[in-house]
Amino acid sequence: MTDVQPKSTHAVPGDPGALVVVDNVSHTYGSGSTAHNAIRNLAFSVQPREFVSIVGPSGAGKTTLLRTLAGLLSPSSGGVWVEGKRISGVPDDMAMVFQDYSRSLLPWLSVEKNVAFPLGGSKHSTAERHEIVRESLEAVGLDGFGKRYPWQLSGGMQQRVAIARALAYRPKLLLMDEPFASVDAQTREGLEDLVLQIRDRYDMTILFVTHDIDESVYLANRVLVLSRPPAHIVEDLRIELPEPRDQITTRENPDFVHLRSRVARLVHGGTPEG
Amino acid sequence: MPTPTRSLETHGIPIARRPRRSRKALISLGYFVIPLVVLVSLWQLATTLNPSPFFPPPLAIAENLWKLLFGGDALVTELFFTDFLTTVGRMLAGFAIGTAWGIVVGTIMGRSRAARETVTPIVELLRSIPATATLPLFIILLGGGDDMRVVFIAYGVSWFVLINTAAGVGSIHKTMLDLGQVFKVSRTRQLFTIVLPAAMPKIFAGIRIASTAALLLAIVSEFILATNGIGFQLIQAQGRFQLLTMWSWMLALAILGLLINSLLDYVEGRVLSWHKLSRARI
Repeated sequence: MTDVQPKSTHAVPGDPGALVVVDNVSHTYGSGSTAHNAIRNLAFSVQPREFVSIVGPSGAGKTTLLRTLAGLLSPSSGGVWVEGKRISGVPDDMAMVFQDYSRSLLPWLSVEKNVAFPLGGSKHSTAERHEIVRESLEAVGLDGFGKRYPWQLSGGMQQRVAIARALAYRPKLLLMDEPFASVDAQTREGLEDLVLQIRDRYDMTILFVTHDIDESVYLANRVLVLSRPPAHIVEDLRIELPEPRDQITTRENPDFVHLRSRVARLVHGGTPEG
Repeated sequence: MPTPTRSLETHGIPIARRPRRSRKALISLGYFVIPLVVLVSLWQLATTLNPSPFFPPPLAIAENLWKLLFGGDALVTELFFTDFLTTVGRMLAGFAIGTAWGIVVGTIMGRSRAARETVTPIVELLRSIPATATLPLFIILLGGGDDMRVVFIAYGVSWFVLINTAAGVGSIHKTMLDLGQVFKVSRTRQLFTIVLPAAMPKIFAGIRIASTAALLLAIVSEFILATNGIGFQLIQAQGRFQLLTMWSWMLALAILGLLINSLLDYVEGRVLSWHKLSRARI
Protein backbone atom coordinates (compact mmCIF):
# COMPACT_ATOMS: atom_id res chain seq x y z
CA MET A 1 0.00 0.00 0.00
CA THR A 2 1.46 3.33 -0.99
CA ASP A 3 0.89 6.16 1.39
CA VAL A 4 1.75 9.47 -0.16
CA GLN A 5 0.15 11.61 2.56
CA PRO A 6 2.16 12.65 5.60
CA LYS A 7 1.06 10.77 8.75
CA SER A 8 0.35 13.94 10.70
CA THR A 9 -2.76 13.75 12.86
CA HIS A 10 -3.41 17.46 13.06
CA ALA A 11 -3.12 18.80 9.56
CA VAL A 12 -6.72 18.37 8.52
CA PRO A 13 -6.97 19.15 4.84
CA GLY A 14 -9.70 21.55 3.82
CA ASP A 15 -12.46 22.20 6.31
CA PRO A 16 -11.37 22.22 9.97
CA GLY A 17 -14.94 22.23 11.37
CA ALA A 18 -15.95 19.09 9.52
CA LEU A 19 -16.62 15.79 11.27
CA VAL A 20 -15.36 13.73 8.34
CA VAL A 21 -12.85 14.82 5.73
CA VAL A 22 -12.16 12.56 2.79
CA ASP A 23 -9.00 13.72 1.04
CA ASN A 24 -8.22 12.39 -2.42
CA VAL A 25 -9.02 8.81 -1.59
CA SER A 26 -8.38 6.18 -4.25
CA HIS A 27 -8.59 2.45 -3.91
CA THR A 28 -7.47 -0.28 -6.25
CA TYR A 29 -8.13 -3.96 -5.62
CA GLY A 30 -5.44 -6.35 -6.80
CA SER A 31 -2.61 -5.37 -9.09
CA GLY A 32 -1.33 -5.82 -12.62
CA SER A 33 -3.77 -6.74 -15.37
CA THR A 34 -6.49 -7.85 -12.94
CA ALA A 35 -6.40 -4.61 -10.93
CA HIS A 36 -9.77 -3.03 -10.32
CA ASN A 37 -9.78 0.68 -9.69
CA ALA A 38 -12.90 1.05 -7.50
CA ILE A 39 -12.69 4.68 -6.42
CA ARG A 40 -10.50 7.49 -7.67
CA ASN A 41 -9.56 10.78 -6.04
CA LEU A 42 -12.68 11.14 -3.95
CA ALA A 43 -12.76 14.31 -1.90
CA PHE A 44 -15.56 15.67 0.27
CA SER A 45 -16.24 16.65 3.84
CA VAL A 46 -19.21 16.09 6.10
CA GLN A 47 -20.39 18.58 8.70
CA PRO A 48 -21.66 17.54 12.13
CA ARG A 49 -25.39 16.60 12.08
CA GLU A 50 -25.46 16.29 8.33
CA PHE A 51 -27.35 13.44 6.70
CA VAL A 52 -25.44 12.51 3.57
CA SER A 53 -26.75 9.95 1.08
CA ILE A 54 -24.33 8.30 -1.28
CA VAL A 55 -25.87 6.96 -4.50
CA GLY A 56 -24.44 5.59 -7.68
CA PRO A 57 -24.88 2.86 -10.27
CA SER A 58 -24.53 -0.66 -8.90
CA GLY A 59 -20.92 -1.67 -8.59
CA ALA A 60 -19.89 1.96 -8.35
CA GLY A 61 -17.67 1.48 -5.34
CA LYS A 62 -20.19 2.72 -2.78
CA THR A 63 -19.35 -0.11 -0.41
CA THR A 64 -15.62 0.40 -0.96
CA LEU A 65 -16.04 4.03 0.03
CA LEU A 66 -18.04 3.14 3.14
CA ARG A 67 -15.56 0.46 4.22
CA THR A 68 -12.77 3.00 3.80
CA LEU A 69 -14.65 5.52 5.95
CA ALA A 70 -15.23 2.81 8.55
CA GLY A 71 -11.53 2.08 8.70
CA LEU A 72 -12.14 -1.50 7.61
CA LEU A 73 -10.16 -0.91 4.44
CA SER A 74 -7.09 1.25 4.13
CA PRO A 75 -7.14 3.18 0.87
CA SER A 76 -4.42 2.80 -1.75
CA SER A 77 -3.85 6.53 -1.53
CA GLY A 78 -5.32 9.54 0.19
CA GLY A 79 -6.65 9.68 3.72
CA VAL A 80 -9.72 10.01 5.89
CA TRP A 81 -9.95 12.33 8.87
CA VAL A 82 -12.61 11.89 11.53
CA GLU A 83 -12.94 14.51 14.27
CA GLY A 84 -9.68 16.03 13.12
CA LYS A 85 -7.70 12.82 13.38
CA ARG A 86 -6.40 10.84 10.48
CA ILE A 87 -7.80 7.35 10.89
CA SER A 88 -5.60 4.28 10.71
CA GLY A 89 -8.26 1.82 11.82
CA VAL A 90 -11.87 1.93 12.94
CA PRO A 91 -12.47 5.43 14.35
CA ASP A 92 -13.94 5.97 17.83
CA ASP A 93 -17.52 7.16 18.09
CA MET A 94 -18.49 5.43 14.87
CA ALA A 95 -21.05 2.68 14.43
CA MET A 96 -22.26 0.87 11.38
CA VAL A 97 -25.48 -0.77 10.24
CA PHE A 98 -24.76 -3.52 7.75
CA GLN A 99 -26.84 -4.45 4.75
CA ASP A 100 -27.19 -8.08 5.66
CA TYR A 101 -28.96 -8.14 9.01
CA SER A 102 -29.22 -11.93 8.96
CA ARG A 103 -25.40 -12.03 9.09
CA SER A 104 -24.75 -9.05 11.29
CA LEU A 105 -27.04 -10.12 14.14
CA LEU A 106 -25.63 -13.03 16.11
CA PRO A 107 -28.28 -15.78 16.06
CA TRP A 108 -27.06 -17.40 19.28
CA LEU A 109 -27.71 -14.23 21.26
CA SER A 110 -31.09 -12.85 22.25
CA VAL A 111 -32.13 -9.44 20.96
CA GLU A 112 -31.02 -7.66 24.14
CA LYS A 113 -27.66 -9.42 24.17
CA ASN A 114 -27.15 -8.46 20.53
CA VAL A 115 -27.88 -4.85 21.40
CA ALA A 116 -25.55 -5.04 24.40
CA PHE A 117 -22.78 -6.54 22.24
CA PRO A 118 -20.87 -3.27 21.65
CA LEU A 119 -20.96 -2.56 25.40
CA GLY A 120 -18.80 -5.61 26.10
CA GLY A 121 -15.93 -3.71 27.69
CA SER A 122 -15.97 -2.94 31.39
CA LYS A 123 -16.86 0.71 30.78
CA HIS A 124 -20.44 0.27 32.00
CA SER A 125 -21.96 -1.33 35.06
CA THR A 126 -24.58 -4.03 34.60
CA ALA A 127 -27.34 -1.61 35.55
CA GLU A 128 -26.11 1.02 33.10
CA ARG A 129 -25.82 -1.55 30.37
CA HIS A 130 -29.34 -2.73 31.05
CA GLU A 131 -30.65 0.82 30.86
CA ILE A 132 -28.81 1.57 27.61
CA VAL A 133 -30.20 -1.60 26.01
CA ARG A 134 -33.72 -0.80 27.18
CA GLU A 135 -33.54 2.75 25.91
CA SER A 136 -32.06 1.74 22.56
CA LEU A 137 -34.76 -0.87 21.99
CA GLU A 138 -37.39 1.65 22.97
CA ALA A 139 -35.95 4.17 20.46
CA VAL A 140 -36.51 1.72 17.60
CA GLY A 141 -39.94 0.68 18.86
CA LEU A 142 -38.93 -2.76 20.02
CA ASP A 143 -39.46 -2.47 23.77
CA GLY A 144 -40.52 -5.81 25.12
CA PHE A 145 -38.71 -7.84 22.45
CA GLY A 146 -35.40 -8.15 24.33
CA LYS A 147 -35.80 -11.80 25.21
CA ARG A 148 -36.63 -12.88 21.65
CA TYR A 149 -34.07 -14.18 19.22
CA PRO A 150 -33.32 -12.35 15.95
CA TRP A 151 -34.59 -15.24 13.83
CA GLN A 152 -37.97 -15.02 15.53
CA LEU A 153 -38.46 -11.53 14.10
CA SER A 154 -39.34 -10.24 10.63
CA GLY A 155 -36.66 -8.69 8.42
CA GLY A 156 -37.70 -5.14 9.23
CA MET A 157 -37.64 -5.85 12.94
CA GLN A 158 -34.23 -7.48 12.66
CA GLN A 159 -32.86 -4.37 11.00
CA ARG A 160 -34.38 -2.34 13.86
CA VAL A 161 -32.39 -4.50 16.27
CA ALA A 162 -29.24 -3.74 14.27
CA ILE A 163 -30.05 -0.02 14.49
CA ALA A 164 -30.64 -0.32 18.24
CA ARG A 165 -27.26 -2.01 18.59
CA ALA A 166 -25.61 0.90 16.78
CA LEU A 167 -27.48 3.34 19.05
CA ALA A 168 -26.30 1.51 22.16
CA TYR A 169 -22.77 2.37 21.09
CA ARG A 170 -23.71 6.09 21.23
CA PRO A 171 -21.90 7.02 18.02
CA LYS A 172 -21.40 10.52 16.68
CA LEU A 173 -21.07 9.08 13.20
CA LEU A 174 -23.36 6.38 11.89
CA LEU A 175 -22.56 4.59 8.64
CA MET A 176 -25.39 2.70 6.97
CA ASP A 177 -24.66 0.35 4.08
CA GLU A 178 -27.82 -0.19 2.01
CA PRO A 179 -29.60 -1.04 5.24
CA PHE A 180 -33.10 -1.38 3.78
CA ALA A 181 -32.21 -3.15 0.55
CA SER A 182 -33.87 -6.41 1.56
CA VAL A 183 -37.10 -5.31 3.24
CA ASP A 184 -40.44 -4.67 1.56
CA ALA A 185 -41.54 -1.17 0.51
CA GLN A 186 -43.90 -0.48 3.42
CA THR A 187 -41.46 -1.66 6.04
CA ARG A 188 -38.82 0.45 4.34
CA GLU A 189 -40.86 3.64 4.73
CA GLY A 190 -41.25 2.96 8.42
CA LEU A 191 -37.54 2.37 8.81
CA GLU A 192 -36.67 5.54 6.88
CA ASP A 193 -38.75 7.65 9.25
CA LEU A 194 -37.23 5.81 12.18
CA VAL A 195 -33.73 6.75 11.02
CA LEU A 196 -34.73 10.41 10.77
CA GLN A 197 -36.22 10.27 14.26
CA ILE A 198 -33.17 8.75 15.89
CA ARG A 199 -30.89 11.15 14.05
CA ASP A 200 -32.70 14.04 15.76
CA ARG A 201 -32.95 12.30 19.10
CA TYR A 202 -29.29 11.25 19.29
CA ASP A 203 -27.72 14.15 17.40
CA MET A 204 -25.86 11.95 14.96
CA THR A 205 -24.18 12.48 11.64
CA ILE A 206 -25.29 9.84 9.18
CA LEU A 207 -23.67 8.58 5.99
CA PHE A 208 -26.19 6.49 4.14
CA VAL A 209 -25.29 4.36 1.13
CA THR A 210 -28.24 3.32 -1.01
CA HIS A 211 -29.07 2.44 -4.58
CA ASP A 212 -32.61 3.75 -4.14
CA ILE A 213 -32.76 7.24 -5.60
CA ASP A 214 -36.03 8.29 -3.91
CA GLU A 215 -34.72 7.12 -0.58
CA SER A 216 -31.47 9.06 -1.00
CA VAL A 217 -33.36 12.31 -1.60
CA TYR A 218 -36.08 11.70 0.99
CA LEU A 219 -33.66 11.16 3.85
CA ALA A 220 -30.75 13.46 3.19
CA ASN A 221 -29.58 17.04 3.50
CA ARG A 222 -27.05 16.23 0.83
CA VAL A 223 -26.74 13.62 -1.88
CA LEU A 224 -23.38 12.57 -3.28
CA VAL A 225 -23.78 10.98 -6.70
CA LEU A 226 -20.96 8.64 -7.69
CA SER A 227 -20.02 7.70 -11.23
CA ARG A 228 -19.33 4.25 -12.62
CA PRO A 229 -15.98 2.85 -11.44
CA PRO A 230 -13.44 4.18 -10.95
CA ALA A 231 -15.91 6.20 -8.90
CA HIS A 232 -15.62 9.93 -8.53
CA ILE A 233 -18.23 12.42 -7.38
CA VAL A 234 -20.45 13.48 -10.28
CA GLU A 235 -22.43 15.89 -8.20
CA ASP A 236 -22.71 17.06 -4.62
CA LEU A 237 -26.35 18.04 -4.29
CA ARG A 238 -27.86 20.03 -1.46
CA ILE A 239 -31.40 18.90 -0.50
CA GLU A 240 -33.42 21.69 1.03
CA LEU A 241 -36.78 20.09 1.53
CA PRO A 242 -39.01 21.10 4.45
CA GLU A 243 -38.42 19.33 7.78
CA PRO A 244 -39.68 17.11 9.23
CA ARG A 245 -39.92 14.93 6.18
CA ASP A 246 -43.18 13.13 5.54
CA GLN A 247 -43.69 10.07 3.38
CA ILE A 248 -46.63 11.65 1.57
CA THR A 249 -46.19 15.41 1.51
CA THR A 250 -42.41 15.34 0.98
CA ARG A 251 -42.69 12.90 -1.88
CA GLU A 252 -45.36 14.98 -3.67
CA ASN A 253 -43.42 18.22 -3.18
CA PRO A 254 -42.40 19.50 -6.68
CA ASP A 255 -38.86 20.13 -5.39
CA PHE A 256 -38.62 16.49 -4.35
CA VAL A 257 -39.83 15.34 -7.75
CA HIS A 258 -37.36 17.63 -9.46
CA LEU A 259 -34.44 16.54 -7.26
CA ARG A 260 -35.14 12.84 -7.61
CA SER A 261 -35.30 13.18 -11.41
CA ARG A 262 -32.04 15.06 -11.40
CA VAL A 263 -30.33 12.39 -9.29
CA ALA A 264 -31.84 9.64 -11.46
CA ARG A 265 -30.45 11.24 -14.62
CA LEU A 266 -27.03 11.56 -13.01
CA VAL A 267 -27.04 7.96 -11.88
CA HIS A 268 -28.25 6.57 -15.18
CA GLY A 269 -26.64 8.86 -17.68
CA GLY A 270 -23.89 10.69 -15.90
CA THR A 271 -25.10 14.17 -16.90
CA PRO A 272 -27.87 16.25 -15.31
CA GLU A 273 -29.59 16.86 -18.62
CA GLY A 274 -29.03 13.35 -20.08
CA MET B 1 -43.60 0.39 35.52
CA PRO B 2 -42.60 -0.77 32.06
CA THR B 3 -45.33 -0.94 29.50
CA PRO B 4 -46.83 -4.39 29.16
CA THR B 5 -45.05 -6.58 26.68
CA ARG B 6 -46.67 -6.36 23.29
CA SER B 7 -47.34 -9.72 21.83
CA LEU B 8 -45.69 -10.57 18.55
CA GLU B 9 -49.03 -11.59 17.18
CA THR B 10 -50.39 -8.06 17.47
CA HIS B 11 -47.69 -7.18 14.93
CA GLY B 12 -48.98 -9.89 12.65
CA ILE B 13 -45.86 -11.96 13.11
CA PRO B 14 -46.18 -15.64 13.75
CA ILE B 15 -44.31 -16.81 16.82
CA ALA B 16 -41.85 -19.65 16.44
CA ARG B 17 -43.55 -22.32 18.45
CA ARG B 18 -41.40 -24.97 19.97
CA PRO B 19 -42.69 -28.38 18.94
CA ARG B 20 -44.62 -30.07 21.72
CA ARG B 21 -41.76 -31.92 23.37
CA SER B 22 -43.57 -34.67 25.22
CA ARG B 23 -45.71 -35.76 22.29
CA LYS B 24 -42.82 -35.77 19.85
CA ALA B 25 -40.61 -37.69 22.26
CA LEU B 26 -43.31 -40.30 22.75
CA ILE B 27 -43.74 -40.85 19.03
CA SER B 28 -40.03 -41.15 18.37
CA LEU B 29 -39.75 -43.52 21.33
CA GLY B 30 -42.44 -45.64 19.69
CA TYR B 31 -40.54 -45.75 16.40
CA PHE B 32 -37.47 -46.79 18.32
CA VAL B 33 -38.88 -49.27 20.84
CA ILE B 34 -41.36 -51.24 18.75
CA PRO B 35 -38.94 -52.46 16.04
CA LEU B 36 -36.36 -53.20 18.74
CA VAL B 37 -38.78 -55.34 20.73
CA VAL B 38 -39.89 -57.18 17.58
CA LEU B 39 -36.33 -57.83 16.48
CA VAL B 40 -35.11 -59.01 19.87
CA SER B 41 -38.17 -61.28 20.23
CA LEU B 42 -37.50 -62.86 16.85
CA TRP B 43 -33.85 -63.34 17.78
CA GLN B 44 -34.82 -64.84 21.14
CA LEU B 45 -37.31 -67.18 19.45
CA ALA B 46 -34.86 -68.31 16.76
CA THR B 47 -32.00 -68.98 19.16
CA THR B 48 -34.25 -70.84 21.62
CA LEU B 49 -35.79 -73.05 18.94
CA ASN B 50 -32.45 -73.67 17.29
CA PRO B 51 -29.69 -73.40 19.93
CA SER B 52 -26.20 -72.58 18.69
CA PRO B 53 -23.06 -72.01 20.77
CA PHE B 54 -22.14 -69.12 18.47
CA PHE B 55 -25.36 -67.18 18.84
CA PRO B 56 -26.68 -67.25 22.40
CA PRO B 57 -30.21 -65.95 23.06
CA PRO B 58 -30.36 -62.21 23.81
CA LEU B 59 -31.88 -62.65 27.25
CA ALA B 60 -28.97 -64.93 28.21
CA ILE B 61 -26.52 -62.27 26.96
CA ALA B 62 -28.21 -59.55 28.96
CA GLU B 63 -28.41 -61.73 32.07
CA ASN B 64 -24.74 -62.64 31.77
CA LEU B 65 -23.74 -59.01 31.35
CA TRP B 66 -25.70 -58.12 34.48
CA LYS B 67 -23.86 -60.91 36.31
CA LEU B 68 -20.48 -59.69 35.03
CA LEU B 69 -21.00 -56.11 36.15
CA PHE B 70 -23.50 -56.21 39.02
CA GLY B 71 -23.60 -59.89 40.08
CA GLY B 72 -21.32 -59.74 43.14
CA ASP B 73 -22.09 -59.13 46.80
CA ALA B 74 -21.36 -55.42 46.49
CA LEU B 75 -23.34 -53.00 44.36
CA VAL B 76 -20.99 -53.58 41.42
CA THR B 77 -18.43 -56.28 40.70
CA GLU B 78 -14.68 -55.89 40.52
CA LEU B 79 -14.87 -56.23 36.76
CA PHE B 80 -17.01 -53.10 36.67
CA PHE B 81 -14.08 -51.13 38.03
CA THR B 82 -11.09 -52.94 36.56
CA ASP B 83 -12.43 -53.28 33.03
CA PHE B 84 -15.65 -51.41 32.30
CA LEU B 85 -14.75 -48.13 34.00
CA THR B 86 -11.13 -48.39 32.89
CA THR B 87 -12.19 -48.40 29.26
CA VAL B 88 -14.62 -45.54 29.86
CA GLY B 89 -11.87 -43.55 31.58
CA ARG B 90 -9.33 -44.09 28.79
CA MET B 91 -11.91 -43.24 26.20
CA LEU B 92 -13.04 -40.04 27.92
CA ALA B 93 -9.48 -38.85 28.58
CA GLY B 94 -8.43 -39.47 24.98
CA PHE B 95 -11.62 -37.91 23.66
CA ALA B 96 -11.22 -34.79 25.82
CA ILE B 97 -7.55 -34.25 24.96
CA GLY B 98 -8.09 -34.97 21.26
CA THR B 99 -11.09 -32.63 21.08
CA ALA B 100 -9.27 -29.80 22.84
CA TRP B 101 -6.24 -30.22 20.60
CA GLY B 102 -8.43 -30.39 17.50
CA ILE B 103 -10.27 -27.19 18.42
CA VAL B 104 -7.05 -25.30 19.14
CA VAL B 105 -5.21 -26.35 15.97
CA GLY B 106 -8.35 -26.14 13.85
CA THR B 107 -9.02 -22.59 15.05
CA ILE B 108 -5.47 -21.50 14.23
CA MET B 109 -5.78 -23.08 10.79
CA GLY B 110 -9.15 -21.47 10.19
CA ARG B 111 -7.98 -18.01 11.25
CA SER B 112 -4.55 -17.78 9.68
CA ARG B 113 -4.04 -18.35 6.01
CA ALA B 114 -0.30 -18.87 6.49
CA ALA B 115 -0.93 -21.54 9.13
CA ARG B 116 -3.54 -23.20 6.94
CA GLU B 117 -1.28 -23.37 3.92
CA THR B 118 1.68 -24.67 5.91
CA VAL B 119 -0.19 -27.23 7.95
CA THR B 120 -2.74 -28.57 5.44
CA PRO B 121 -0.38 -30.94 3.55
CA ILE B 122 0.84 -32.43 6.83
CA VAL B 123 -2.72 -32.81 8.12
CA GLU B 124 -3.90 -34.41 4.88
CA LEU B 125 -1.01 -36.88 4.89
CA LEU B 126 -1.28 -37.87 8.54
CA ARG B 127 -5.02 -38.23 8.64
CA SER B 128 -4.94 -40.50 5.59
CA ILE B 129 -3.11 -43.10 7.69
CA PRO B 130 -5.82 -45.17 9.41
CA ALA B 131 -5.47 -44.30 13.09
CA THR B 132 -5.50 -48.00 14.02
CA ALA B 133 -2.37 -48.51 11.90
CA THR B 134 -0.44 -46.14 14.13
CA LEU B 135 -0.97 -48.23 17.27
CA PRO B 136 2.25 -50.28 16.86
CA LEU B 137 4.24 -47.06 16.57
CA PHE B 138 2.61 -45.60 19.69
CA ILE B 139 3.43 -48.81 21.60
CA ILE B 140 7.10 -48.59 20.61
CA LEU B 141 7.29 -44.88 21.42
CA LEU B 142 5.30 -44.82 24.64
CA GLY B 143 5.17 -48.40 25.91
CA GLY B 144 2.12 -50.44 26.83
CA GLY B 145 0.67 -48.28 29.59
CA ASP B 146 -2.47 -46.21 30.01
CA ASP B 147 -0.76 -43.03 28.82
CA MET B 148 0.00 -44.66 25.48
CA ARG B 149 -3.64 -45.65 25.04
CA VAL B 150 -4.91 -42.18 25.92
CA VAL B 151 -2.45 -40.50 23.54
CA PHE B 152 -3.38 -42.97 20.79
CA ILE B 153 -7.11 -42.27 21.22
CA ALA B 154 -6.49 -38.51 21.37
CA TYR B 155 -4.40 -38.64 18.20
CA GLY B 156 -7.02 -40.62 16.32
CA VAL B 157 -10.04 -38.52 17.30
CA SER B 158 -8.36 -35.12 16.97
CA TRP B 159 -8.55 -35.17 13.16
CA PHE B 160 -12.33 -35.13 13.04
CA VAL B 161 -12.55 -32.14 15.36
CA LEU B 162 -9.61 -30.38 13.73
CA ILE B 163 -10.94 -30.62 10.17
CA ASN B 164 -14.43 -29.52 11.19
CA THR B 165 -13.19 -26.66 13.35
CA ALA B 166 -10.92 -25.37 10.59
CA ALA B 167 -13.82 -25.51 8.12
CA GLY B 168 -16.24 -23.83 10.54
CA VAL B 169 -13.86 -21.09 11.63
CA GLY B 170 -12.66 -20.52 8.06
CA SER B 171 -16.14 -20.08 6.62
CA ILE B 172 -17.44 -17.38 8.94
CA HIS B 173 -19.19 -14.66 6.98
CA LYS B 174 -17.16 -11.47 6.53
CA THR B 175 -19.96 -9.33 7.97
CA MET B 176 -19.63 -11.11 11.33
CA LEU B 177 -15.92 -10.35 11.44
CA ASP B 178 -16.52 -6.73 10.35
CA LEU B 179 -19.00 -6.46 13.19
CA GLY B 180 -16.32 -7.30 15.74
CA GLN B 181 -13.95 -4.77 14.19
CA VAL B 182 -16.48 -1.95 13.92
CA PHE B 183 -17.45 -2.22 17.58
CA LYS B 184 -13.79 -2.46 18.59
CA VAL B 185 -14.06 -5.86 20.20
CA SER B 186 -10.69 -7.26 21.27
CA ARG B 187 -9.35 -10.20 19.30
CA THR B 188 -9.73 -12.55 22.24
CA ARG B 189 -13.32 -11.50 22.73
CA GLN B 190 -13.98 -11.82 19.01
CA LEU B 191 -12.71 -15.39 19.19
CA PHE B 192 -14.99 -16.36 22.06
CA THR B 193 -18.08 -14.29 21.22
CA ILE B 194 -18.15 -14.46 17.43
CA VAL B 195 -15.77 -16.97 15.85
CA LEU B 196 -16.21 -20.03 18.05
CA PRO B 197 -19.99 -19.73 18.51
CA ALA B 198 -20.43 -19.28 14.75
CA ALA B 199 -18.28 -22.33 14.09
CA MET B 200 -19.95 -24.37 16.84
CA PRO B 201 -22.41 -26.29 14.61
CA LYS B 202 -19.52 -27.62 12.52
CA ILE B 203 -17.29 -28.22 15.55
CA PHE B 204 -20.06 -30.19 17.18
CA ALA B 205 -20.50 -32.35 14.09
CA GLY B 206 -16.80 -33.20 14.43
CA ILE B 207 -17.23 -33.97 18.12
CA ARG B 208 -20.04 -36.43 17.30
CA ILE B 209 -17.80 -38.42 14.96
CA ALA B 210 -14.91 -38.14 17.41
CA SER B 211 -16.97 -39.70 20.21
CA THR B 212 -17.69 -42.77 18.11
CA ALA B 213 -14.06 -43.00 17.06
CA ALA B 214 -12.91 -42.68 20.68
CA LEU B 215 -14.77 -45.81 21.74
CA LEU B 216 -13.54 -47.70 18.71
CA LEU B 217 -9.91 -46.74 19.29
CA ALA B 218 -10.15 -47.47 23.03
CA ILE B 219 -11.25 -51.06 22.33
CA VAL B 220 -8.65 -51.60 19.59
CA SER B 221 -5.91 -50.27 21.88
CA GLU B 222 -6.91 -52.84 24.50
CA PHE B 223 -6.50 -55.74 22.11
CA ILE B 224 -2.72 -55.49 22.36
CA LEU B 225 -0.49 -55.52 25.46
CA ALA B 226 -3.40 -54.80 27.80
CA THR B 227 -4.13 -56.35 31.19
CA ASN B 228 -7.60 -54.87 31.58
CA GLY B 229 -10.40 -53.09 29.77
CA ILE B 230 -13.36 -54.23 27.70
CA GLY B 231 -11.11 -54.89 24.68
CA PHE B 232 -8.87 -57.06 26.85
CA GLN B 233 -11.90 -58.99 28.18
CA LEU B 234 -13.14 -59.58 24.65
CA ILE B 235 -9.80 -61.08 23.57
CA GLN B 236 -9.66 -63.20 26.76
CA ALA B 237 -13.16 -64.54 26.16
CA GLN B 238 -12.31 -65.29 22.56
CA GLY B 239 -9.19 -67.21 23.64
CA ARG B 240 -11.23 -69.29 26.05
CA PHE B 241 -14.04 -69.72 23.58
CA GLN B 242 -16.52 -68.05 25.99
CA LEU B 243 -18.92 -66.81 23.37
CA LEU B 244 -21.59 -65.76 25.82
CA THR B 245 -19.08 -63.48 27.55
CA MET B 246 -17.95 -62.04 24.24
CA TRP B 247 -21.54 -61.20 23.34
CA SER B 248 -22.07 -59.69 26.79
CA TRP B 249 -19.16 -57.29 26.41
CA MET B 250 -20.37 -56.35 22.97
CA LEU B 251 -23.74 -55.55 24.48
CA ALA B 252 -21.97 -53.45 27.11
CA LEU B 253 -20.29 -51.50 24.31
CA ALA B 254 -23.60 -50.99 22.51
CA ILE B 255 -25.14 -49.56 25.67
CA LEU B 256 -22.10 -47.38 26.26
CA GLY B 257 -22.26 -46.05 22.71
CA LEU B 258 -25.96 -45.28 23.06
CA LEU B 259 -25.36 -43.48 26.36
CA ILE B 260 -22.62 -41.31 24.89
CA ASN B 261 -24.78 -40.49 21.92
CA SER B 262 -27.79 -39.48 24.02
CA LEU B 263 -25.56 -37.38 26.23
CA LEU B 264 -24.20 -35.54 23.19
CA ASP B 265 -27.75 -35.17 21.85
CA TYR B 266 -28.70 -33.49 25.09
CA VAL B 267 -25.68 -31.18 25.10
CA GLU B 268 -26.25 -30.29 21.46
CA GLY B 269 -29.88 -29.50 22.18
CA ARG B 270 -28.81 -27.06 24.86
CA VAL B 271 -25.81 -25.47 23.17
CA LEU B 272 -27.06 -25.37 19.59
CA SER B 273 -30.80 -24.91 19.93
CA TRP B 274 -30.42 -21.50 18.22
CA HIS B 275 -28.93 -23.21 15.20
CA LYS B 276 -31.72 -25.73 14.72
CA LEU B 277 -34.48 -23.25 15.41
CA SER B 278 -33.04 -20.50 13.21
CA ARG B 279 -32.63 -23.05 10.40
CA ALA B 280 -36.18 -24.22 10.80
CA ARG B 281 -37.36 -20.68 10.02
CA ILE B 282 -35.69 -20.42 6.64
